[in-house]
Amino acid sequence: MDMQQLMSINELNKAGDERKTFEETVQYIVIRLGDEQYGIDIGYIDNIVRMQNITRVPKVPAYLKGVINLRGEVIPVMSIRLKMDLPADEITRATRVIILKLEQEGNVGIIVDEVKEVVTLGTSQIEKVAHDSTEGKATFISGVGKHNGELISLLDLNSVTLEDNV
Amino acid sequence: MTNDENAAGGGTEDKMDVSQYLEIFLDETKEHLQNLNTQILELESNPDNMDTVNEIFRAAHSLKGMAGTMGYKRMQNLTHDMENVFSEVRNGNISVKPEMIDVLFQCLDALEEYNNNIQETADEGTNENEPLIKQLNDILNGKSASAPASAPTETPKAAPATENSDEKWNDIALDDSQIRVIGEAKKQGKNVYGLNVVVQETCILKAARAFLVFKAVEEKGEIIVSAPSAQDVEDEKFDRDFTLIVVSEADLKDVIAAAESVSEIAKVTGALLDVEKTKNYRPVEEDTVASNVEKKAETSVAVEENRQVAAAKTPAKTEKKATPGKPVVNRTVRVDIEKLDVLMNLVSELIIAKNSLVAASNQEQQVNNGNVNEHIEYLESVTTNLHESVMKVRMVPIESVVNKFPRMIRDLSKTLNKKMELYMSGEETELDRTVVDEIGDPLMHLLRNAADHGLESSEERVKRGKPATGSIFLDAYQEGNNVVIEVRDDGNGIDVEAVKNKAIERGAITPEQAATMADKDIINLLFLPSFSTAKKVTDVSGRGVGLDVVRSKIESLSGEVEVKTQLGQGSTWTIRLPLTLAIVQALMVVVGGEKYAISLGSIQTIEDIAPSDIKLVQNKEVIHLRGTVIPLIRMSEVLEIESTKTESDNLVVVIVKKGDKMAGLVVDELIGQQEIVIKSLGKYIKQCKFISGATILGDGEVALILDANALI
Repeated sequence: MDMQQLMSINELNKAGDERKTFEETVQYIVIRLGDEQYGIDIGYIDNIVRMQNITRVPKVPAYLKGVINLRGEVIPVMSIRLKMDLPADEITRATRVIILKLEQEGNVGIIVDEVKEVVTLGTSQIEKVAHDSTEGKATFISGVGKHNGELISLLDLNSVTLEDNV
Repeated sequence: MTNDENAAGGGTEDKMDVSQYLEIFLDETKEHLQNLNTQILELESNPDNMDTVNEIFRAAHSLKGMAGTMGYKRMQNLTHDMENVFSEVRNGNISVKPEMIDVLFQCLDALEEYNNNIQETADEGTNENEPLIKQLNDILNGKSASAPASAPTETPKAAPATENSDEKWNDIALDDSQIRVIGEAKKQGKNVYGLNVVVQETCILKAARAFLVFKAVEEKGEIIVSAPSAQDVEDEKFDRDFTLIVVSEADLKDVIAAAESVSEIAKVTGALLDVEKTKNYRPVEEDTVASNVEKKAETSVAVEENRQVAAAKTPAKTEKKATPGKPVVNRTVRVDIEKLDVLMNLVSELIIAKNSLVAASNQEQQVNNGNVNEHIEYLESVTTNLHESVMKVRMVPIESVVNKFPRMIRDLSKTLNKKMELYMSGEETELDRTVVDEIGDPLMHLLRNAADHGLESSEERVKRGKPATGSIFLDAYQEGNNVVIEVRDDGNGIDVEAVKNKAIERGAITPEQAATMADKDIINLLFLPSFSTAKKVTDVSGRGVGLDVVRSKIESLSGEVEVKTQLGQGSTWTIRLPLTLAIVQALMVVVGGEKYAISLGSIQTIEDIAPSDIKLVQNKEVIHLRGTVIPLIRMSEVLEIESTKTESDNLVVVIVKKGDKMAGLVVDELIGQQEIVIKSLGKYIKQCKFISGATILGDGEVALILDANALI
C-alpha cells in the first residue's frame, strides 16, 4: 500500500468521524409553502424558473394551473398548494416554478412560495413517516428530515403529481 | 463508394461482411417483392404480355442475386427455381396457367416470410419450402418430362448469350507482363478464363455492382485484366458490360456463379481463354513497346466510342421505358427519419423566432423604420419556403401502401369465393411519411370489410340485377389541407336494422334509445369495440377487431373516418387526414381575454351576426346562413370563461366544418392568421378533448389550439 492510498483513507476516516458513520446522502432543495418547509430530491429537478404567465387549460382539475413555455417546450404547471388543500398561491417576487422530470409523465412544473437552499441529508437524519395515515396531507410526505434544528418535510413526488381520480 | 474502396484495400481472404448492406437488402427485397406481386397480377389478367414476363424475370433474378450475395441460401434456392419457371415462360416453352399463378403467389409469400425473418433476426429461418420448390419443378417438368428437374434452363440460356457477346475477352489487348502471368498460371495448372459481365439496363449504381462482381470473382481467383480498366469501372466509365480475364483454380461454372450472385447483373458469360486468340497476341520476344502503346490506345478509343454510342442510346431507352406505366426509379437518398425530425424541429424553432420578431416589430411600430419590416418579410418568406421544403421531404406517395392491395383482393376473392375487382386511383397522393406508415392497416381493414361484409355473393348479385363481379374502389385525393381516402363498394350496404338489433342484443344501447336514434348514429355504433355483424366468423373478418381499431388509429393521426351507406347500393368509407402534422396555418382568436388558435383547415367562413339573428331550435341556438341552419357554440361557455362582450354586441362567429356537419363558434375577437407550430400538451394533461395541443406565440406565451372537429 503506497502513501497516497493511505492518505486518502485517513482523510476518509476523518470525514467519517465528522458525520459519525458512512451513510448514503441525498441532496434536497428546501422550499417554502406557507409556513412549512419542504424538501424535494434534487435528482428529480430539471430546472427552477421564475413565475411567469400561465396559460389556463379548460376542463382540468383546479390544481392544474395550465401550461407555460419553457424554452420552446410546453410544460404543464400544477399548484402544489391546491393539491395539498392549502390556501391558493399568492404570487410574490419569491414565487418560483420548479420543473420536475418524471419518468412517466414527462416534465411537470410545481409552484412554490420560495426556494431557500440546498441541504444534504444522510439517512440517519431522515425519519420515515408511516403511510397509513388517512389524513390527506400526510400521504404527500415520504419522510421528515432534520437539519440544523429545523424540520423539513420531504415531498413524495409520485403522490404529489399523481392525478386525482375525477 | 468509400466503403467499397476500403474493403478493396482490406484484401479478399475474408468472407465479405454483408451486415452493413442488410438494410439496403431488406428494402430492395421489399421493392422487388412488391414489383413481382404487381407484375404477376398483371400476368394473370394478361398472360401473353412479354414485357411483364421479362420484368418478372428480371426482378426474380435480382432477388436471387441479392439473396445469394447476402448468403441466404434458402431464399436463393426458391428464387432460383422461380426464375427457371419465368425463364421457360419467356422462352415460350410453358404457358401461363392459373395454377401456376397460385404457386407463384405462394412463393412470394414464402419469400416475404424469409424477408420478415431476416428483418427480425438477420437470419432467413429454416423453412426450406420444399413443397413449393417441388411444385415449381413440376411446372417446369410439365412441359417436357425428360428435362432434369434441377436447373433445366441453364444451358439454353447460356448458349445464345455466348453468341451475342462474341467472346469479348478476345478483344482485350494484353501486354506481355500479363501474357507472362497467364503463361505462369497455366504452367501451375490453373485455369485462365475470359468473363463478360453485363449489367442490367435498370441498374443505377453500375460501379457498385461491378465492384461487387470484382469482389465475388476475386474470391474464386485472381483478376489479371479488366476492360475497361478497374479504375474506369469504378468511376462508372463503362456502358453495360465489362470483360475480365481471371486466373483461378475453380471451375468456370463456379466463377460465373460467383459473378452472377451479384444483383442487377443481367448476364455473365465465360469460357476458357485461349491466349493465342486474343487481339494482339504475339510471342513475348517480338514485342515492342511502341506498338503496344498504340494498340492500347486503339482499344481505349474503341471503348470511348462504345460509350458515346451508349450515351446516344440512353435517352431513347428511357423514353421507351417510361411508357409501360412502370414507376421510373427516382434518384433518392435514404435519410434516417430522426434526422428529418431534427430538421423539422429546427424549422419550428425558426418559425417561432420569426413570429417573435414580427410581434416585436408590431409593438415598436412607432420607432422602427420600414427597413426592419422589409427584412422581416424576407425572413418570413424564407421560413415559409424552408418549412414547405422540409415537409415535402417527409412526404411520400401512398402508393407504397396501396400497392399491396390488388394482390390482397385477389386472394380474398379466392378465399371468399366471390368475384371482385379493385379499382384504385390517386396512388400518387402524398402524405407525411409517418402517416403513410400508419395508414396501411386501417385501409386493409376497410377493404377486407368491403370484400367480406359489403359485397354479396355472385349468385346474390346476379339475382339483384347487379354484375356478378363486385367492384371495390380505393380513391385518394387532396382536398384543401386534407387528404381524403375513400373505400367504396357496390355491395349490399349496411343494414341499419341489423346493426340496431345487434347493438341492443349486445347491450350497447337500450331498445328505447334505439327507437330515437338517427340511422347515422346507429351506423356509428359499428365503430364501437367488439362489434361485428358478420353472420359467421370467417378468416377474413368478424373477429370484432376492425372498425374500432380503424377509428382509433385514424384519430391518433388527427384524422377522422365516416361512413355513408345505402342499403342495396353499397357503402363509402371516407378517411380524412391532415396533410401535415407539425406546422399549420391557424386563425388566432380571443375568448374572454385568452388567445386560442383554430386550424384554418376546418374553417369555412367568418360571420358577423347580430344577436337578433339567433333563433332557438330545441332550445339550442342556431343561425340561418345562406339557406343552412348552423348550430352555435359559445366558446366562452365551452372554455368556462367570462366573455368580454355584452349581450347586445354583434357576435363574431367562426363557421367550421367537419365532413358535412357545420357549426358556428362564437368568439370575442379575431386576431388574424398565423403559422403555428403544434406542440403537445404533454401526457400530464389529457382530459381535454377539444384542445388538440398548444403553440408558442411570438411573445413567448402559450396559446391552446382548439380542435374544431371535437367541438362539432
